[in-house]
Amino acid sequence: MAVPMDQPPAAISAALTETNVRVTSSFRGARIVIYGAVFNPDTQPADVVVLVRGPQEPVRIARKTRVAGMWINSRPVVFEGAPGFYRAASTRPLRDIAPFGVLRRLGAGVDHLPINAPEEQRIETRYGVRDVVVSRLGADYGQWRQAVVRLKANARLYAEDERGVRFVDRGLFRAEVDLPTAAPIGEYRADIFLFQDGRPVASRSRTLTVEKAGLERTLYLFARERPWLYGLASVAVALLAGWAASVVFRRT
Amino acid sequence: MDIYLPIAEVSVNAPLLIALGAAVGFISGLFGIGGGFLMTPILVFLGIPPAVAVASEANHVAASSTSSVISYTRRRAVDFRMGGVLAAGGAAGSFLGVEVFRWLRLLGQADLVVSLSYLVFLGVIGGLMLTESLGAILRRRRGEPPKPRRDRRPPWLYGLPFKVRFPRSRLYISVLPPIALGVFVGILSAIMGVGGGFVLVPAMVYLLRMPAGVVVGTSLFQIIITTSLTSVLQAGRNQTVDVVLATMLLAGGVLGAQFGARASMRFRAEELRALLALIVLVVGLKMGLDLFIRPADPFVLVSGAG
Repeated sequence: MAVPMDQPPAAISAALTETNVRVTSSFRGARIVIYGAVFNPDTQPADVVVLVRGPQEPVRIARKTRVAGMWINSRPVVFEGAPGFYRAASTRPLRDIAPFGVLRRLGAGVDHLPINAPEEQRIETRYGVRDVVVSRLGADYGQWRQAVVRLKANARLYAEDERGVRFVDRGLFRAEVDLPTAAPIGEYRADIFLFQDGRPVASRSRTLTVEKAGLERTLYLFARERPWLYGLASVAVALLAGWAASVVFRRT
Repeated sequence: MDIYLPIAEVSVNAPLLIALGAAVGFISGLFGIGGGFLMTPILVFLGIPPAVAVASEANHVAASSTSSVISYTRRRAVDFRMGGVLAAGGAAGSFLGVEVFRWLRLLGQADLVVSLSYLVFLGVIGGLMLTESLGAILRRRRGEPPKPRRDRRPPWLYGLPFKVRFPRSRLYISVLPPIALGVFVGILSAIMGVGGGFVLVPAMVYLLRMPAGVVVGTSLFQIIITTSLTSVLQAGRNQTVDVVLATMLLAGGVLGAQFGARASMRFRAEELRALLALIVLVVGLKMGLDLFIRPADPFVLVSGAG
């Protein structure tokens, strides 16, 4: 496609309705709205893809196998690179927007997340080829990796919404992302891409903070920073409550 | 009315939890047990992470046991010396149990050990208690005299050294069996999130041969000490005690325990035992049999330090 020199390139701008989600005792999840505008000078059809990623933490996963009639966990395997929360919203199915390689590079779609199990890997020479990455999980590796995504999706932490971005007016788009109560605390990052001809031509990044607030935060920090004192305090509450109840009941 | 728990990091229905606390507290006061073996599985079923359920439940058991032990003290139904010996063993057991639980979580086998413990201990104890108490009820219905209580205590109780007098229990036995029993119950307390009353009460009746009148009060006294310690250790080592969860449970629990302790005076001992045995058996089988059912998904996410 030949773009005349005087024409400005395609661009995208975006913002979040909320950049700070406060988790208090009444927290029941939150809805984040991502909205923005596409400046598309030529008539090329454009697609918008929104990727929201939560803080990363290693995932420990085990497989149940049957031993003496009982279903028992195998040795847990640690997978890294799995975000604590993931949403991919787009105007069309991702595979129609861009080819495999582009999606993989951007981590667009649950199948393209860079999840792997580094502790299980070793590098060796096979058939004279050096630096071959071999996983101890062997041929089942793909199943393990898919299970990570499936379990996270069941907990409503991972999802793909192929109609999640809607154009509400010419050049004006909107996407909704629901955070469940199980969404992890921390820094989230929203990447908004404009695709043309299977390539990302413009992008924007926005951050979102999910943090505990109020009493929740006080108790959480107390439990983290002074665990022994917290333990003593919680036992004191328990014993006092038990004693108080019996005193009240003796009078009545 | 939902409330978000700061440590468990899930949202739960507050009135439901308070009502559950009260129901389990009532059972606790009625049978003189902590009620943890009922509450922990219920909490896990409600979606609270097992590690948090086990640790917070120890706190709730401490509260409801305190609430009911005071009325037993007034009736002079607590053998403090025996309780103290049991608690000394219990303290050692909690230390051990909290470390074992930590290690099991790292191995990813915590759930298995918890389920198996429920199946084995609750199954065996529930089964034995049910047979014994149903026998007693049937004999009474037929008008037969109760089975004469065998006063010959097992000889090994007397062959051991370090004998101590327990005047309230009318016993003169070695301290080793109660200490061993305490250690065992302490470990269970940390792993299963229970007070251990369902083990202690039958063990005191059938092994130590303590008089029935002091068994329940003494068991509650030792449970308070063990669960308080477990609770502090779980908070300090594993940071899994959710004080909001525990407070909601104990708000209902301490009241329920009072009503339960009053209601217990209206029933015959063997009827109470039969009912408790039935509850114990059902919970044990439910927890254990899940191990034998093919899981919907062969993979599970396991908690524990990453």
